[in-house]
Amino acid sequence: MDFILTIEVFATRFLGIFIEAVPFLLLGSLTSGLIESFVKSDDVLRLMPRSRLGAALGGAFLGLLFPVCECGVVPVTRRLFRKGLPLSMGVAFLLAAPFMNPIVFASTYIAFGLGPIFIGRIVITLVVAVTVALVIGMFTKPDSVLKPIALAGGPAKHSHDDHHHHHHDHDHDHDHDHDHDHDHEFASLRDKLLYAVGTASDEFFEMGRFLIIGSALAALMQTLVPQESLLALGTGNVLSVLFMQVLAYILSVCSTVDSFLALAFVNTFTTGAIVSFLSFGPMVDIKSTLMFTGVFRRRIVLYLILLPFVMNLLAGVFINLAIGY
Amino acid sequence: MSARDSRITWAKLLILLGMGIYLTQLIISGNLTNYINQRFAWLAYVGAGIFFALALASLLQRIMPSLHGHQHYRIGWDILLIAAFPLALALLIPSRSLGIEAINGGVSLRPVGVGNAATFARSPLDRNILDWLREFSRATPAEFNDLPVDVIGFVYREPVHAADEFLVSRFTMSCCVADAFPIGMPARADFIDEVAVGSWVRVQGRLTAANFAGEPLPVITVESLEPVDEPEQPYLYP
Repeated sequence: MDFILTIEVFATRFLGIFIEAVPFLLLGSLTSGLIESFVKSDDVLRLMPRSRLGAALGGAFLGLLFPVCECGVVPVTRRLFRKGLPLSMGVAFLLAAPFMNPIVFASTYIAFGLGPIFIGRIVITLVVAVTVALVIGMFTKPDSVLKPIALAGGPAKHSHDDHHHHHHDHDHDHDHDHDHDHDHEFASLRDKLLYAVGTASDEFFEMGRFLIIGSALAALMQTLVPQESLLALGTGNVLSVLFMQVLAYILSVCSTVDSFLALAFVNTFTTGAIVSFLSFGPMVDIKSTLMFTGVFRRRIVLYLILLPFVMNLLAGVFINLAIGY
Repeated sequence: MSARDSRITWAKLLILLGMGIYLTQLIISGNLTNYINQRFAWLAYVGAGIFFALALASLLQRIMPSLHGHQHYRIGWDILLIAAFPLALALLIPSRSLGIEAINGGVSLRPVGVGNAATFARSPLDRNILDWLREFSRATPAEFNDLPVDVIGFVYREPVHAADEFLVSRFTMSCCVADAFPIGMPARADFIDEVAVGSWVRVQGRLTAANFAGEPLPVITVESLEPVDEPEQPYLYP
């Protein structure tokens, strides 16, 4: 029966994306848990650059310290926001880190060498991430940008009452008001590790639902929209870029492996389209959009999608016109 | 810990454990290659390891109250239900690779990705469908006349194909099924009716430059066509 076959194809595509992406989400959740457990708010506040431009630039390179891909970057960003990271720095980190980290440098290098595509990807990613970070950094009140759960010292989701039912046998004392950013200074290493892993598993469930819904949407579209009819669009200077960005958004392929996917389009698509695919894809796609909604207010999520989309589009078209095909 | 919290903690534990077991089962059964490129199989090892570690930590926290970790976010049944969705699909729907029913826009006769010296150095009988398409893109059809072909793929036919024409096809996959892309080699056999469309076959024959569905191409003149099991690695890796 056709219907059953369609379900089977959907299941294969969905599970494929999920299986490929979930280890990176787990690594991101673990990183987030370790930050929660071992990084003190004071450190974050002390080390951050003072100027907004400095913060945005610093954020764009922060991925070199926290190597996370696009599934892992959202929980880590949210955690860093709760630790007091400035807005513009966090936004630049969020947009740039999925590419600007050692793992994705390696995969891009393996796929394309140190050619125009690699360099274009770095330049565009930096320009877009820093610009968007500066724009969103203009909001002076963090609570107009972030959801309460992502605010520094913001409330955890559980109610005050819950705390009274907890029995703390550790030798450290939690600060039991709504400030949940306790730094666990008195805990032993074992306690800290267990705390990190516990946080990581909650983080996995919290963020995993967006990955799962996003993967399901991507698989659904792939199963129902004919690939060939989309591929026919690949040659126009503007259309090809537009198309590859939409494709990047729909496919939601992990940034650690998107270079290999892009290889499949090298022969049929313009260079600008390939570069835009590679720089836009890691910033925004279906699953990260859903994950963004767990961190940012709705209007900001819209900015975080539209600004990178337009800027990447312009950059891709510029490359096509400059190269001349 | 309330009874509700307790049930939720056990459900989380079960899902984490289930995910770890699922990934492990994929690795052991070899079904992993239905979903992702063999090259990235290590990701599944990493995933399974972390899932087991998370499950173990939840168990420790559950049975040793002194280690209790309080929930940072309120994880409710809605989130758990979504998290269980991949496991439900994995349990209910038999694992299989993408086949002919996943083709929704025709099969490409062009190669995917770029070859390297090693793939071009392969002797004709060692070439797979992707190797051949790469060769085809480098020379005119007539230059391949009489070269022997021995490839495995599934049978694909379109309405435009004549009664004796078909494509012997494979999906290529760079990283995971998200980028799977069907490619195929043109072939001719008088006895093609005996083979079901979509089934896996081993095709042996020789190449002849010919007009295939209106395009001049190297076409396999089939000498032998035998049904085979689906290969352990159903996809070709560019």
